[in-house]
Amino acid sequence: MQWELETTGLTKRYGRLVANDAVDLRVAAGEVHAVMGENGAGKSTLMSMLYGLTRPDEGAILLRGQQVRLASSLDAIARGLGMVHQAFKLFEDLTVWENVVYGAEPRRFGFLDRRSACTRVQELAQRHHLAVDVRARVRDLSVGIRQRVEILKALYRDARILILDEPTAVLTPQERDGLFAIIRALRADGRTILFVTHKLHEVMELTDSVTVLRQGRVSARMRTAETDADAIIRAMTGRSVNLSVARSPATPGAEILRVEALRVPAPVRGAKPLVDDISLSLRAGEIVGIAGVAGNGQSELIEAITGLRAAEGRIHLNGQEISGRSVAARRAAGMAYVPEDRALTGTAAGARATEALLMGRQHDPAFARHGVQDGAAIAAHARDLIQAHDIRITSERTRVGTLSGGNLQKVVLARELDFDAPLLIAEQPTRGVDVGAIEAIHARLVAERDRGHGVLLVSAELSEILGLSDRILVIYEGRLIAELPGAEATEQHLGLLMAGRTQEVAR
Amino acid sequence: MHRLALLRPHPVLMAILTGLVFGALLLLLSGQNPLRAYAEMVRGALAPRNWNNTLVWAVPMIGMTLVAALPLRGGMVNLGGDGQLVIGGFVAAMAAIYLPLPGPLLAAVAILSAMLAAGLYAALAALGQTVLGIPMLISSLLLSYPAIGLTSWAAGFPLRDTATGLAQTLPVPEAARLPMLFGPVSTGVVLMALVAAVVVWADRRSVPGYELRMRGLNARFARYGGVPTARQTVTVMFLSGALAGLTGAIIVLGTHYRFINGALVSPGYTWSGLMAALLAGGEPLMAIAAGFFFAALQTGGFAMQREIQVPRVLSMVLQAIIILFVSLRNGRGAARKEDRS
Ligand SMILES: Nc1ncnc2c1ncn2[C@@H]1O[C@H](COP(=O)(O)OP(=O)(O)O)[C@@H](O)[C@H]1O
Ligand SMILES: [Mg+2]
Repeated sequence: MQWELETTGLTKRYGRLVANDAVDLRVAAGEVHAVMGENGAGKSTLMSMLYGLTRPDEGAILLRGQQVRLASSLDAIARGLGMVHQAFKLFEDLTVWENVVYGAEPRRFGFLDRRSACTRVQELAQRHHLAVDVRARVRDLSVGIRQRVEILKALYRDARILILDEPTAVLTPQERDGLFAIIRALRADGRTILFVTHKLHEVMELTDSVTVLRQGRVSARMRTAETDADAIIRAMTGRSVNLSVARSPATPGAEILRVEALRVPAPVRGAKPLVDDISLSLRAGEIVGIAGVAGNGQSELIEAITGLRAAEGRIHLNGQEISGRSVAARRAAGMAYVPEDRALTGTAAGARATEALLMGRQHDPAFARHGVQDGAAIAAHARDLIQAHDIRITSERTRVGTLSGGNLQKVVLARELDFDAPLLIAEQPTRGVDVGAIEAIHARLVAERDRGHGVLLVSAELSEILGLSDRILVIYEGRLIAELPGAEATEQHLGLLMAGRTQEVAR
Repeated sequence: MHRLALLRPHPVLMAILTGLVFGALLLLLSGQNPLRAYAEMVRGALAPRNWNNTLVWAVPMIGMTLVAALPLRGGMVNLGGDGQLVIGGFVAAMAAIYLPLPGPLLAAVAILSAMLAAGLYAALAALGQTVLGIPMLISSLLLSYPAIGLTSWAAGFPLRDTATGLAQTLPVPEAARLPMLFGPVSTGVVLMALVAAVVVWADRRSVPGYELRMRGLNARFARYGGVPTARQTVTVMFLSGALAGLTGAIIVLGTHYRFINGALVSPGYTWSGLMAALLAGGEPLMAIAAGFFFAALQTGGFAMQREIQVPRVLSMVLQAIIILFVSLRNGRGAARKEDRS
C-alpha cells in the first residue's frame, strides 16, 4: 500500500533525552489520523519534523512513497503540507485576508492585487465552509475564528496534508464541534489530516485511525473503529486508568467562603471590569466548580480572593473578614491555593524541592525558631511529601525547575494539601498533566471534600468540572451568569452557557 | 549532557580568562609586554608585603559589594550606594567630632548612627517605590546626588577645617578612631568580616534570608507564598544602606580620620561592588570572593603602574570585560530558555 505520508525510524534527540525514538508513522490518503500521547510524549516534536521546523537525527520522511528532505517549513509547504500550530502565528493588526495571503500574495504588475486577493480568500472560505469575515481585523476575532484563519492560510497554499497540533485545547465545546465539521469537510474534499491531541473522546469521535506515542515511541497503531477507549489509554499510559471519579453525594456543612459583590476594575479606564460584581458562597464538604472559557475573569477572581490582586467587595473566610488583608493573613485564616500556573506562580524554577515545599510555612514553629530555620526538619518534611505524593525527583535538594509538568504539579499539590486548610482553591489543577496523574489529582480533590473541606475548583476542562463539581457556577465576561447543580449539568448545556448564550439554554 | 557539563569550564573562569586575553591584546597593541604587566599585577596584589594594601582596599570593596548583593539577592537593585556611603561617612565624622562621649563608646555610637542614617536614607528610596511607584532603580540613584552634594557643601563651607584649606571636616578625636591591627589595617577589617559572616549566615539559614532568596528566584512565587514584598523591600534597602553607612564609617574612622570631600566616592567602590555582586548573581559568599578579586585587581593595578608605568586603568578594563562576558552568557542563557517554552 502506498501511504500518503510515512516516516521510518524517525528519531530526534535533545541531549540525552530521546524525544522521538524510531517513530514509524503511516498515514493513508484522505483520512483523519490522530496522533495521541500524554504531555511530553513527543507529538509536537514529530509534527515539527514533518513540517520542516526541526531536523530529524535519523530516519526518513516519505511523501507518497518518495523520500523528502525538509530543510524548512517552506520546503514542507511546497510539498503540500500545512500546519496549524498550538500557538497561532497571526498579525493582529492585519485583516483576515491579508494574513492569509501574507508571503504568497497575488501580484499584478508587481503590485499586490488587493481585490483579487480578497475575493480569492473569500471564495476559498466559502468552498470549505469556513465562516469567516475575511475583511475583519484579526485583533477582533475570537480564538475559534483565528484558528479558521490559520486553516485558511494552509488551504490557500494548497495544503494536501494538514497538521493540527492540539487544536481543541483553546476552544469551547461549540467551537470544537465547528472545527470537527470543518475537518470532516476537508476529509470529504480528499485532504489528509493529522490531528494531534491528548483527549480521548476526540479521537473516538473524529478520527479514522490513531497512532499512540509513549515516551517518544510508537506504542500502538490502530483503526479507531476497531479499538476502544481503554485500549488507547493503556497504550498511552501503559496501564488502565479510571477516568470517571467515583464519589458519593456531597454533604455540605457550614459556610467556609463567602464573597460579596467582588469587583476587579479594568486596568484601563472605561473598559469593563475584569470581575464584575461577583458573589458566591462555598460550604464545607462541597466542591464548587467555576466553568468558563479561559480569559473570562476567573484568574482575576481567584487572585482577588487569594489577595494577589486588589479588589473591591467583601470576602469572608471561615467567619473572618479577609478583604484587604495580606496573602499571609488569608493563608493563616485557612486557605490553600493551587494556582493555575505552577511554574510562574506555584514554584520557582531555581528553588530546591525543600524550599519550594516550604513556601507558606516558613514561619511555622515546626520549621523555624526565632527566625532561624531548622534545616533538618525542613528536609524531613520535604522527604515525607515527596514520598507521600510519589514525586519523581532525584533528591529533596534538587531544583524543581528540572521536573516535568506533572511532577511539578505534585510538588504544588503536596504543599498545599499539607496545609490542611478548610478552603482549597484549585485552579486548572490538571492542566498539562498526564492522564494517569489526572486520576490521582481528582481523587485527592474528592478526598479533600470528604474530609469536610470546601474546594473551589476553576477549570477550563469541562469533563473536570462535570466530573467533580457538586455545584457549578458559570463565569462569562467577568460575571457569574448561571448556577446549576453538578448532577444536572450536561456538556452541551454548559458549553452554551460558557459561550454566554443564556437565552438558548432557557429555551 | 552531564559529562559535557563537567568538561565545560566554569563560565566565570571563562570570563576571567577572556578578560585576561583581551587585556593582553590591549597591552600588546600599546607596545607593552602583557606577561610582565600581569606578573606585576599579581605581585602587587598578592606578594606578602602587599597584603596590607589589598586588605585596606578590600574592606570597603567588600562592604559595598554586600550593599549591592543584598537587594540583588531579592531581584532588587540599589544604585544609591554612593549617597548612602557619604551619608555614613559624614554622620560618623559628625558624631565622633561633636558628641561628648568617652572613648570606645564614641566609636560605637558613631558607627551605629552612621548605619542608622544611611539605612534610613536608603529606605527612603524603597518607600519611593512601594508608596509612590517610582522604580527603585531610579529613586535610589536620584537620592544619591543630593546626599553627595549636601555633604560636600557642608565639608566645604560650614564645617570645614579652616586649618587645612581643603574641603574636609575637622579630624575625629583619637578616641573615636578604630584601633590599628597591623600596618595600615584597622580593626575595621574585623568588623567587616563579622558583618560579612552574618550576611552569609542569614542568607542561608534565616527565614528572612529564605524569603529574600525565593523572591529573587521568582517574585510572584514569593508573593503567592505570603512574603510581604513591600515591607521586605523597605527592610532590605534599610539594611543595604546600613551596610553602606558602616563602610563609610570604617573608612572615616579607620583610614581618613575625617570626612574628606569626594574621598569616599572617587575610588568607585559602589560601582565595582555592584559589578562584583552582579558577577555572583547576588549570592553573598561568591559576591565577597568577587569583591576580593576586584580589590586585588585594583591594588595590583596600582603596583603595575608604579613599577612599570602601565596605566592602572587596565584593571578597570579587565573588570569591565569580565562583567561583560559573564552577563553576556547569562543574558543569552535566559533568552534561550524563553525560546524553548
Ligand atoms: N527544543 C527542545 N529542547 C529540548 N527538549 C525538548 C525540546 N522540544 C521538546 N523537548 C522535549 O522532548 C519531549 C517531547 O516534547 P513534545 O514533542 O513537545 O511533547 P508533546 O507535544 O507530546 O507534549 C519533552 O520531554 C520535551 O521536554
Ligand atoms: Mg505538544
